[in-house]
Amino acid sequence: MSLMPKRVKYRKQQRGKMKGNATRGNYVSFGEYGLQALETYWVTARQLDAGRIAAQHFLRRQGKIFIRVFPDKPISKKPLETRMGTGKADVEYWAAVVKPGTILFEIAGVPEELAKQALARIAYKMPIRCRFVGRRVAV
Amino acid sequence: MAHDTPTLEATKRERLGSRYAKRERAKGRLPAVIFGHGSEPAHVTIDEKAMALALKHGSHVVNVKFGSTTETCLVKDLQFGYLGDNVIHVDLARVNLDEVVTVNVAIHFVGVPELAKKPGNIATHDLAQLEVRCKVRDIPEDIRIDLSVAMTGMTFTVGEIKLPAGVTAAVPAETVVCRIQTVTEEATGEAAAPTEAASAPEVITAKKDEKAEGAPKA
Repeated sequence: MSLMPKRVKYRKQQRGKMKGNATRGNYVSFGEYGLQALETYWVTARQLDAGRIAAQHFLRRQGKIFIRVFPDKPISKKPLETRMGTGKADVEYWAAVVKPGTILFEIAGVPEELAKQALARIAYKMPIRCRFVGRRVAV
Repeated sequence: MAHDTPTLEATKRERLGSRYAKRERAKGRLPAVIFGHGSEPAHVTIDEKAMALALKHGSHVVNVKFGSTTETCLVKDLQFGYLGDNVIHVDLARVNLDEVVTVNVAIHFVGVPELAKKPGNIATHDLAQLEVRCKVRDIPEDIRIDLSVAMTGMTFTVGEIKLPAGVTAAVPAETVVCRIQTVTEEATGEAAAPTEAASAPEVITAKKDEKAEGAPKA
């Protein structure tokens, strides 16, 4: 099932800016390895779902996948050949605002080599450049 | 401290602020602050590569050669760049080797538990680092846990970890370190297609909107 919020305060949102880098959700927390975004983008619910399915098919009930971002931003789009005006269009899809540094996915319970391959499959489904990361050093 | 404490040469920072710190980083020097034990804080720079190597080897304590004195310091905090792959600032606290401190030590898991070898079962690690209390001289580089031997049940708790002498866990003994989970394959494809009812979320402010829409238009 496509990811989207169960309840929202308002049906539609303004577009907003996507300036700067991620200051939260930018390190591996739940799993041992993660996939980090290197660019700014609206990652859609379909893309996140495609990534999850690709990794699940590859891992075949090994390991656990965590999706660290949630598509909570409604994106509206006017139908084709429609005249401008007459208010804001209907919601077309839901997206997660991703900034450089955001951890998109995490994997736990599998060896590094397998995690690398699974996350590479997810990275193929992502619309942005991503990279494989591990946990930070403990102090 | 199972290995020798690394010694890092520090030089005083003449000018403070993000602009000058950035220039120091460009030269391969890492901005740091040394504080504690009632002395004045010292703003210094240390060699970035030497510090990165010490951290990579799990060092929590470093000897900082600053001027004519050498101080034993505990790595208290690290600041990372936005991608998390480079340290941009280090907080160093002055310590005595016999002082009792609380530090986070990385847990390295080795082996796979017997129960996790069954299809559908996986071992998930709830803790990646353990908060321990010990003397500065006793801080371990890491804690190695061989799950294939140590883990017999469905969960492995902090109380079951064999810690080195003089080291005690600072978290409750019943805290779960690792657990066996059964992974259920989630529905994918057409079966997972969103239903019409679930295609739009519930709008909390919808009632107000309906009232507004229902009102006669001028």
